[in-house]
Amino acid sequence: MADARRQGGCLCGAVRFSAIPKKPEYGACHCSICRKWSGGPWLAVDCGGSVVVEQGAKMGAYSSSEWAERRFCTSCGTALFYKLKDQDFFVVSLEAFDDAQGFTFTEEVCIDEKPASYAFANHTRKMTGAEMFEAFAEAQEDKADRSGKSDG
Amino acid sequence: MARGADARTGGCLCGAVRFTATPRQPHFGACHCAMCRRWAGGVWMAVGCGPDVSFNDSAPVATFSSSKWAERGFCAKCGTALFYRLRDSGHYQMALGAFDDSSGLTFTRQIFIDEKPDSYAFADDTRNLTGAEVIDGYLADKSAGAIAGTDEEARR
Repeated sequence: MADARRQGGCLCGAVRFSAIPKKPEYGACHCSICRKWSGGPWLAVDCGGSVVVEQGAKMGAYSSSEWAERRFCTSCGTALFYKLKDQDFFVVSLEAFDDAQGFTFTEEVCIDEKPASYAFANHTRKMTGAEMFEAFAEAQEDKADRSGKSDG
Repeated sequence: MARGADARTGGCLCGAVRFTATPRQPHFGACHCAMCRRWAGGVWMAVGCGPDVSFNDSAPVATFSSSKWAERGFCAKCGTALFYRLRDSGHYQMALGAFDDSSGLTFTRQIFIDEKPDSYAFADDTRNLTGAEVIDGYLADKSAGAIAGTDEEARR
C-alpha cells in the first residue's frame, strides 16, 4: 500500500515521525556526502511533502549543500531525512520506518561517486549525480507545467 | 600498537570532528543488524581500528549507549556517524565513509547476515556471520565479533 502513512523514528525514540512513501521503492545514494553521513551507502525513500514530525522531537539539521539539509536525532545520532531547503521535499531513511517491509530496491544514484570496493548485486536503475539532478529538474518542470505555476 | 605508516585521518561532514585511526587490517565490513540499519540510515560499513583512536581537542563527539556492550559515536553538530565502540576492549570500529581516504581497504565481512533484509544484497565475496556467530565470537574473545580488522582475522 504505497499511499499508507507509515510511522518511524530514531534508535532512542526522541524523534518520532510519520510519512507517506510516494512509491513502495527505495534507492541507494553513493555520493561522498551520504557515505560520510551514514558510514556507507544511504538507503532512502522519496516521501515528498508528507513528513510530519512529532512535537518535541530532538531534531538536528545540518546544511550539507546549497540546496539541502540533513536532519538527524541529536540524542542518538540516527540519520533521518534529506530535505530540500526551498520546498517541502523529503527523502527518508528506509530503516527509519518501524516497518520497512514491502519496499523494492529500484535505483542507485551518484553511481559515479561509488568506490569500487563494494557493489550491490541487485538489478537497479543507475544514475550518475548529473543524471539524477537532470531527472529531478525535469520532474520539477513537469510538476510546474501541470499545476500551471512555478514552485517556490 | 600503532603502525604510523598505516594511520589514516578522517572526520565528519561539518569538519568539527577530526580523528586519526589505524586500521588493524586493510579491511572493512558491513553490519546488517536492526540497530546499525536504523542508526546509519543505510548500510553501516566500518573498519576495526583497535582502542587507539585520537580525536582533535574539543571535538563535538556525542555518544549514544545503544546496548550493554557498545556505544555509538556521532558528530553532535552535523550528525555524521563516526564509530561503534565496544566497552570491554575499548575497540573502535570507525565508519568507512568518515575516512578522508578509504582506498586500499577491502570488503571482507558481513555480520548479522541473518538480519539483513532480502531486498538488497552485495555482489562482493565476503565472509558472512550470523548474529549468533558474532555474539559467540565476542564472548569468546572480546576483541572479536567486530566488523573487520579483528585479532581473530590477524591470526588467520
